Amino acid sequence: MGSLMAQIVAVVAMNIRSLPQRIWMSIATLVAVGIVVAVLLAFLALSNGFEKTLNTSGSDKIAVMLRAGSQGEMSSVLLRDQLNIMELAPGISRDANGPVVSAELYVIVDGTKRSTNTPVNLPLRGLELSGVELRENFSIVEGRMFEPGRNELVVGEAVQTEFSGFELNKKVRLGQSEWTVVGVFSAGGSVFGSELWGDLKTVQSQFNRGSSAQLLRAKLATPGDVSEIQAYIENEPQLNLDVKTEVAYYAEQSKGITNVIFYLGWPLAIAMALGALAGALNTMYNSVAQRSMEIATLRAIGFSGVSAFIGTLVESLALAAIGGVLGSLAAYLFFDGLTTSTLSGNFTQVVFDFKLSADSFISGLKLALIVGFIGGFFPALRAARLPVVIAFKNAT
Amino acid sequence: MSDFYLIRKNLTRNKLRLSLNSFAIFIAFLLFGVLASLQAAFDAGVELSSEQRMIVTNKINFTQPMPLAYVNKVRAVEGVASVTHANWFGAYYQDPQKPLVGFAVDAESYLEVYEEFVLAPEQREAWFNNRIGIVVGDQMARTLGWKVGDRLPVSSSIFTQKDGSSVWEMEVMGIFTGNDEQFDTNYFLLHYKYFIETQSFGGDWIGWITIKTTDPALNDEVSKTIDAQFANSPAETKTTSEKQFSKAFVEQFGNIGLMITSIVGAAFFTILFIVGNSMALSVRERTNEIAVLKTIGFQAPRIFKMVLSESILLALLGGCLGLFVANVLVNGAAQAPQLRSMLPNLVLTDMVAFKALGLMLVLGLVTGILPAWRAMKLNTIDALNRR
Amino acid sequence: MTAERLFDLKSISKSFSKGKESIAIFEGLNMVIDKGDFVAIMGPSGSGKTTLLNMLGGVDKPTKGEILYAGKGIEKYSEGQLANWRAAHIGFIFQFYNLMPMLTAAKNVELPLLLKKMSSSQRKKSVAAALELVGLADRAKHKPDELSGGQQQRVAIARAIVSDPDLLLCDEPTGDLDRATATEILETLQLLNKDFGKTIVMVTHDPAAAKYAKRCVHLDKGEFVEKELVA
Repeated sequence: MGSLMAQIVAVVAMNIRSLPQRIWMSIATLVAVGIVVAVLLAFLALSNGFEKTLNTSGSDKIAVMLRAGSQGEMSSVLLRDQLNIMELAPGISRDANGPVVSAELYVIVDGTKRSTNTPVNLPLRGLELSGVELRENFSIVEGRMFEPGRNELVVGEAVQTEFSGFELNKKVRLGQSEWTVVGVFSAGGSVFGSELWGDLKTVQSQFNRGSSAQLLRAKLATPGDVSEIQAYIENEPQLNLDVKTEVAYYAEQSKGITNVIFYLGWPLAIAMALGALAGALNTMYNSVAQRSMEIATLRAIGFSGVSAFIGTLVESLALAAIGGVLGSLAAYLFFDGLTTSTLSGNFTQVVFDFKLSADSFISGLKLALIVGFIGGFFPALRAARLPVVIAFKNAT
Repeated sequence: MSDFYLIRKNLTRNKLRLSLNSFAIFIAFLLFGVLASLQAAFDAGVELSSEQRMIVTNKINFTQPMPLAYVNKVRAVEGVASVTHANWFGAYYQDPQKPLVGFAVDAESYLEVYEEFVLAPEQREAWFNNRIGIVVGDQMARTLGWKVGDRLPVSSSIFTQKDGSSVWEMEVMGIFTGNDEQFDTNYFLLHYKYFIETQSFGGDWIGWITIKTTDPALNDEVSKTIDAQFANSPAETKTTSEKQFSKAFVEQFGNIGLMITSIVGAAFFTILFIVGNSMALSVRERTNEIAVLKTIGFQAPRIFKMVLSESILLALLGGCLGLFVANVLVNGAAQAPQLRSMLPNLVLTDMVAFKALGLMLVLGLVTGILPAWRAMKLNTIDALNRR
Repeated sequence: MTAERLFDLKSISKSFSKGKESIAIFEGLNMVIDKGDFVAIMGPSGSGKTTLLNMLGGVDKPTKGEILYAGKGIEKYSEGQLANWRAAHIGFIFQFYNLMPMLTAAKNVELPLLLKKMSSSQRKKSVAAALELVGLADRAKHKPDELSGGQQQRVAIARAIVSDPDLLLCDEPTGDLDRATATEILETLQLLNKDFGKTIVMVTHDPAAAKYAKRCVHLDKGEFVEKELVA
């Protein structure tokens, strides 16, 4: 065993010494693997970041009620009388002021994306101050909170960075009247950071919504349990509502986009990995062909086929691993923390960050090593089986 | 035998290398074909939009309503040839998870403004005369299996009827197509009157107005006149060209173009590297033979052409294969209902195919030029005395 | 009978620069080759045999001096002109045959005909005739690696003569072959010289091979030493 080890070390050392002879081909493999890993990581960071944003948005202590069958807040309508009945539901937590609920209105207004200077849909949420308390991560970071009854807006941090038109103290004309941006809030990285908030009654009147809302949020008496509310809705003929936890609601909202990212990202990475695999195989077959003389000489003086096999495999794995690390590094430098926004299920922009997780890095490195292993395996077999005599002949 | 025979023989002499290289190229063009088609589908709305059409929406956002009275006011503006309006219906059929695109429109004026609409004259008449009649796009009709004469319960996820029901009875009066293969036919049209008179939201409001100007050169002026007319009213307007409107909407998804370009670019760069090196290697291995050809009397430029043709042939071989499979995939994907509703115009267009062919030539040229140059400049004596 | 003069080499000099040094291979070399001649060039390694042969074939150029082919100085030709000239007048035979491994014997022989304006049926006829002449008509469809060394060299000879050149330049044509096979090859060359009137210049270091030539010159230290051939 010791001697086999020594053989392998000798062969690997020889392979490395002869690397400069095929430097371009080796760099090609390295770059190919690196790019594959970088693309994969970019997609993973994208879907990771998107999921993270939606996950922080949902709490299982909160229930969300929408009109039955509606795709999201956008297409839901809840009339005042429905809201009134709903607030009486058991399962909703109560405090000194009665049930802890928030009826909210959701309308879309135009903003401008800073990076492209194009108009985008931004959500304007009308809610009461009690609704703010249902968001655990909410805090005003600049200016102050809007005052009920006035045409005032507070805007999410992400809106500030990604979109223009809603800077602090700026007056914005929406409909018949002017609104003033009086504050900027942080929402702990949740989707609410991409929203504009104003007083419910003011938004209702400015947008001719009467006393209707689109969604009712309620604090649950038992976190995660909506069954009591569910049963209540089923027994009230006037209520035609869906209820789910906030977590479930945002998971549903994000499904479309995470699916797209996921189902586009992995096939893309795999297709590209196959291309890189072709490159790795090419490189390693060439490497074996170039070293056939050396390999045969070693075999002639008594080195085993195993050492030739492992020598080749190690070369391939090493190239792929270096490529994988470089690709990860590039992805980390270019993508991690990058902020972007896209159209969400609710027809409005969601701002999120690319986030690379340790798992993503491991996936990337795994992919690189798989390419390296397969790319080295078959050429290594050829190296191990190289007949000593023919190798000499080839070299003349 | 001809030069081409020699080129072919050279290309196929190392079967393993040939298959690995063409596979790498195959992947690159597979990616290109699929991704470029995706992008083209995203951009189709922009590409197909008419220069002469403009969209008037509520200034707050295009999802906010406007009064119906605006239609006649806009019609009176100078430079406006025809006007129509539409409302978003938020439709679904049986399954609320599968939304359908449906607009409530003023039938006659809508067809006047959207000239690319192809609908048989008798179906058109039948639709005009049936209050609950709808016309359905060819693709949507095929997906759902709807036929002319079908009476269907179509639901809205937004609106309810005055009786509280969210289901409208509709009758398919015609199936329409477009005059271009990318024309979106994945939607249906119902009568505005039927919609507005039955829904419970209040009457006489519309989603947006589409106008056709008499001359695209007047667009700017028309848009200014219209927006000025409604300034400081409860519903201010924003008038943009159809192209701008579609573009802004597509861009809301993020910079898809940039994403696709960088992925395809990365793939191509990699392939370029792999294939270029491989070509160089295979020419280096052939140094001796090239020297013999030159000694026999083959002119240097002819050898240059032969090596270059070989790399172009390789690029075309892998590339066309990739493009073919991309076409199969794109056609397959276009049948998937989830994609169809999002990207109704998904098809590998001629434009994409032409671009791919161009790229194949570029790839072949770039990977072959250096080896070809070396082969051309090869010093016969050194090469032959190498042994 | 006065023989027609094919080559006239006038005070040829050739030197290589190696680093800063300039190494002269020969200086002021003169040589004439008549049409129908069969010259063997012998000499120790490094004496410039192959360089001389390359210059005769228009593959290499002298540093100084003139090479007149049928009265024209070919050393002044451009690369392109030389290529055309070679295609028209010269057939090359190498020590290691230098056949295209992916082409059959027939296709290898056909190669030089790609440079001529010929119909494919004409080409087929010429190829068949050339292979017939070297005795390999039955191996036309075989690839080089399916042929023995001697057979490969015959294919190479067929390739050299297929376009009917005046001059055959052979660089150690038997250097890689056993004695019996070498004899066959040399006999073929002799036949081409005698019966088909090809002028042949052959570089060799095998005295036995040189005997097949009409005359033999020794190249040593850049000088010619004409040697009598013992038949």
